[in-house]
Amino acid sequence: MEIVFIGLIFLLLALFGTPLFVIIGAIALLSFHSVGIDTSAVIVEMYRISNTPALLAIPLFSFTGYILAESKTPQRLVDLSQALFGWIPGGLAVVALVSCAIFTAFTGASGITIIALGGLLLPAMLQNAYSEKFSLGLLTSCGNLGLLFPPSLPIILYALVAKININTLFVAGFVPGVLLLILVSFYCLYKGVTLSVPRTRVTFRNLYKAIKAAIWEIPLPIIVIGGIYGGLFTVTEAAAVSAFYVLIVEVFIYRDIKLSSDVPRIMKESMLLVGGILVILGTALGLTNYLIDAEIPMKILQFLRSFVQTKLVFLIMLNLFLLVVGCMLDIFSAIIVVVPLITPIALDFGVNPIHLGVIFLVNLGIGYTTPPVGMNLFIASFRFRKSILSLYAASLPFLAILLVALIIITYIPEISLWLVNVVGIK
Amino acid sequence: MKILRQIDSFLARIEQTFLIVLLSVMILLAFLQVVLRNLFSTSILWGDTFLRQLVLWVGFTGATLATRQKRHINIDVFSRLLSDRGQTIVGIVTNLFSAIVCIFLTKAAIVFICDEKSSQSILFANIPTWIFILIIAIGFGLITFRFLTIALENFFHLVKKES
Repeated sequence: MEIVFIGLIFLLLALFGTPLFVIIGAIALLSFHSVGIDTSAVIVEMYRISNTPALLAIPLFSFTGYILAESKTPQRLVDLSQALFGWIPGGLAVVALVSCAIFTAFTGASGITIIALGGLLLPAMLQNAYSEKFSLGLLTSCGNLGLLFPPSLPIILYALVAKININTLFVAGFVPGVLLLILVSFYCLYKGVTLSVPRTRVTFRNLYKAIKAAIWEIPLPIIVIGGIYGGLFTVTEAAAVSAFYVLIVEVFIYRDIKLSSDVPRIMKESMLLVGGILVILGTALGLTNYLIDAEIPMKILQFLRSFVQTKLVFLIMLNLFLLVVGCMLDIFSAIIVVVPLITPIALDFGVNPIHLGVIFLVNLGIGYTTPPVGMNLFIASFRFRKSILSLYAASLPFLAILLVALIIITYIPEISLWLVNVVGIK
Repeated sequence: MKILRQIDSFLARIEQTFLIVLLSVMILLAFLQVVLRNLFSTSILWGDTFLRQLVLWVGFTGATLATRQKRHINIDVFSRLLSDRGQTIVGIVTNLFSAIVCIFLTKAAIVFICDEKSSQSILFANIPTWIFILIIAIGFGLITFRFLTIALENFFHLVKKES
């Protein structure tokens, strides 16, 4: 009775905007206290994250992403993709899709993509006779696709929390990521043909100009993606190289960013995010440790087992559950809080842990654009100055495509596991 | 209130400088380690351990600044539906609650630091481990201060409105 009462109060406080780490911290403190363990156990667990090698990748990639977002990289990225894909019917839409995906992979957050790229791409798409509804829907919902490609922060965080190999998860995310890109591209092609959007010709001059402009940024994805997939670099090394490289290129070569005024501000901005993630991660480690000791996942499992018999039903429930979670919580806290609880249950139902990771990321990504409260809908509404209702309508067709892809990815594990087996890393 | 605000912005300036220095060291040292390892097959022995401690320091400094700018990750579904007065009252309650929780977290951190200090464990180069854990206590201490300041700000805002 008492527990239910306290739980309700905490829930209410959370829904009224109390920072999540405070809620998690309070539950962790109370839990340890209730079983007579000194509350310093919460801090012991928190300090233990400093033993995790990949931890360093989080601040370094956040900084890289923020520098890229503040420089003129988005413009150069769009120009380059336009020169490469502009000839396809619906080419600009595909350009938008690919640019958004790459950008999200590097910034780790699709909200930043909407803000940094949306303003460039929306006017261009409208000028090219794409309908407003289609353009808004595409830009709002498609940044998410980048979450599955290196060096996406959510993947790194997932691997950290679930204690699986980061590189394996990156390899596993590749085919599902490409599948999502292809499905949405087909819709773009179809729209490009039916709206008879003008195409741009590929000219050698345009291509040369675009490549020349982005020549210093082109090596970055090659270093990071090639390095990680090729096993040349660990994720942390890739992060160290990108942070340093991007700083030199944007400050000293392109001079988009000023060393004395912009860099300190960007450093601070990016570390606000890292601080926010770190305190949640820290407090949640204490809590999950307690929950696992108290065998809470096993109790949930027993309860579930009483009405869920098969893996199939479990996966359906997982999909629905994660859609709700994805639209309530941002992806970082969702991973930190939910993964430790779900993983043992999913294992019991025979779900492969790597496959589970892919399901989580795709599912939570879609949750971002799910009405009524998906975070990206609000960000897009703010960025494009459109009513939230018009964004619901605009993102619906894309949501439908993404949900189809989610179903395929969830119920055919081979899509995620095939490449992992071929490459042969465990 | 004015004094509190001055202390707050004074602290924030120190924190910002500190954050920028730490992050710069982190970026340079991490890159140096990669270069040493891959080109010269060597590396600074304590480098990786030190870098991971830096993440903690950078993270907690970022977290206190995030508290100041009300940028912590939260689920805010209800308070945007409230009136200005309602939001102020909710602000007092949630920030006071947060401050109380953070006091306990600070206390827990101090206990842990004292334990580590008495066990005399050493992380590297004769630097005892507890020095590195200090940031958790300092961080939560500053976060507590920030939550209290915000709660008080809301309180004065409310009083001003009523009178």
